[in-house]
Amino acid sequence: MGALVQLRGLEKRYGAKRALGPLDLTLERREIVGVVGADGAGKTTLLRSIAGLLEIEAAEATVLGHDLAGDVTELKREIGYVPQSFSLHRNLSVVENLRFTARLHRLPSDEFDRRAKGLLGRTGLAPFADRMAGALSGGMKQKLAIANALLVAPQLIVLDEPTAGVDVAARSEIWGMLEAEKARALVLISTSYLDEAGACDRLVYLDGGRVLAIGAPAELRARTTLGLFRVWGEDSKRTSRAARALPYVRASRACAGYARVEVSAAGGPAEDDILRDLAELAGARFAERTPVDMESTLLALARRAEHA
Amino acid sequence: MSAPIIHAKELTKRFGDFTAVDGLRLSVEPGSIFAFLGANGSGKSTTIRMLIGLLRPTFGSVHVDGVDVIREPRRVRDHIGYMGQKVSLYQGLSLRENVEFYAGLYGLGGAELAERWGSLRERFELGPFEKDRSEDLSAGVRQRAGLAVATLHRPRVLFLDEPTAGVDVHNRGRFWELIQEEAEAGVTVFVTTHFMEEAEYCDWVSLIDRGKLIADAPPEELRRRFSDGYRIDVTVSADERSAVLAQLAAEPDAAEMTPTGLTMRLPALGAEVLAGLERVARESPGARIEITQPPMTEVFRRVLGGVGAAPTGGE
Repeated sequence: MGALVQLRGLEKRYGAKRALGPLDLTLERREIVGVVGADGAGKTTLLRSIAGLLEIEAAEATVLGHDLAGDVTELKREIGYVPQSFSLHRNLSVVENLRFTARLHRLPSDEFDRRAKGLLGRTGLAPFADRMAGALSGGMKQKLAIANALLVAPQLIVLDEPTAGVDVAARSEIWGMLEAEKARALVLISTSYLDEAGACDRLVYLDGGRVLAIGAPAELRARTTLGLFRVWGEDSKRTSRAARALPYVRASRACAGYARVEVSAAGGPAEDDILRDLAELAGARFAERTPVDMESTLLALARRAEHA
Repeated sequence: MSAPIIHAKELTKRFGDFTAVDGLRLSVEPGSIFAFLGANGSGKSTTIRMLIGLLRPTFGSVHVDGVDVIREPRRVRDHIGYMGQKVSLYQGLSLRENVEFYAGLYGLGGAELAERWGSLRERFELGPFEKDRSEDLSAGVRQRAGLAVATLHRPRVLFLDEPTAGVDVHNRGRFWELIQEEAEAGVTVFVTTHFMEEAEYCDWVSLIDRGKLIADAPPEELRRRFSDGYRIDVTVSADERSAVLAQLAAEPDAAEMTPTGLTMRLPALGAEVLAGLERVARESPGARIEITQPPMTEVFRRVLGGVGAAPTGGE
C-alpha cells in the first residue's frame, strides 16, 4: 500500500456551491496531523470526506488503499471516527458502550478485555466503568467517544474538534491517548486550541476549501511574515492601547505582565526602531522581539488568505 | 480597592444530595476582567445562573451592582448583559431586526438606539452583515453580534459564558480586543473559557473545582505559585557580563553563567527586575534579552493536579 491518504483534485459540491477543493493531500506517515483554518474553511468536510462519509469527486482519492469513489464499507471498518456531535448510548454504561462497539466489529472477547482495560485506564474512565453514559460530564463523554473509536485499533483515526469545550485536564488525557496511538495509526484531528495545533507533527491549513499551507508547526512558524513583540511593564492595558496607535502595529492585546504586539514584517520600520518606539509607550519598561507563536502563525496564514 | 461590583458570599447550591456549588466567595472589582475557570461539571454554569438571578441559591448571598440578586432577581437584569456559548439571535430575522428586537426589550429606541447601534456596528465591524439573516452569519460574526446585543443597553456588568468556544483564532483575538476595550470603558467582564491562554488577558482568575474555589488570584500571582517561574536569558559577550549583572542589580549568585551570557530564574517579574532589564536594554545595546514565561496551561495543570497546592486566598 502506498500513502495512507492520497487525494488529488478532491472536490465536494453541494449543488452549485463548492464546499471543498480542488484539493491535493498526501499523508504517508503515522503521525498526528492537525487540520486547522478559519470557521467555514472546510475542515469538517475534509475530515468527513476522508472518513468515507461523503460522495466526492476526485482525480484520485484513496484512503488506506480504498478508493473513496468505490465501496467504502471496508474502509469504514478500518477507521476510528469521532464527529463533532457524536452519539453514545445514553442508557448503556461506559463499559457496555465499549462492548457494543466491540460486538459490531466482532472483536474477540480477550482482545476486548485487554483494549478496554487500557483505554479506560488512560482516559481516567475506569472508576466510572459502570456509570450510564448519559450521566457522564461533557469531558468524560468526549473521552468515551474517543475510546470507542480507538477500541478496534484502527489504522486511521479521524477526530473533528474532539476537545471543543473540554477542560484542560481532560484535554491532556485525550492528547496522551492520541500520542500513544500514533505509533500504529495516522491521527487526523481538527482543533481550535493553539497548544494542540502546536503539538501536532504536521498542520494542514485550509482556507476556502483549499490547502493553503502544509508543514510542521515549526516550519509554518518560520515562514510567518509577522513580527511579534512583547512590551513589559506595570500597566499592560495602557501599553497595549498606546501600541494600537502606532501605524505599523497590526494588533495589540494586554496580557499578564506584558502587551502582546503584532507587527507586519514586510515594509515596516527596522527592528531596532520598533523596539525603541515600543519601549517608549505609556506604561512600558522595555520591549523584546519574541519568537512567533502559534497564534501569530495562524493569523499570518489567515491574512495571506485574505489577500490571495 | 473599590467596593466589589459582584459579591457572593457562602454561595451554595444543592440538588438533592449533590452539592454543585459549595460555599463560594467571589469578589469582583469594577472595571476588571474576571476569568471564572473550571473543568466540565465543576459548578461554573450553576454559579453563573445564580449570579444573574436565574437560579435561587440554597444558601448564601449575591450582590451585583448593588442589587441583592436573591431578593430582586428581575431587577439585576437591567444592570447586566449576558452572552452564552450559543449566541441567542432569532433565526429568520436579520441581524438588524434582532438588534431592534433586543433594543425593544430594554426600552431602547429612536435616536438613542440609532446612536448606540451606530457606534457598536462600527466598532464591532458588523455593518456589512446588518441585512444578513442570523443563521447565515459565520461563527466569528455571530459572536461579535452576540456581544453587541448583550451590550446594547450599556450594562455595567457583562457575563460571558464560554464566548469564544468554537470560534477560530483570528476572531478570538479580535474578540478579546473588544472585551478589553469594554473593560477600559469601565464595564466589568465576568468570563468563562477553556482556552487557558485567555486567562492571561484577564485581571483576575478564579478556578472552581467540584463546587469549591481552589485558586483565586491575578494570573501573575498564580504563575508565581504554580510554575517554575520565569527564565531570563541574556546573550552578551564575556567581558560585558559583569556590566550587565550590575545593570540588573542582581545578586551575583542569582544568575548562572552560560557560554553565551547569563541566565536568571525568577518567580516573578517585579518592578525591580523590570527596571534592571530596562537598564540593560538602554546601556548595553549589544545584549539580547529573552524572557521565557511559563505557559498558563502548565500553571492550571499544576493547580488542578494539586502540585504545591494551597488554596490561594485573597486574605
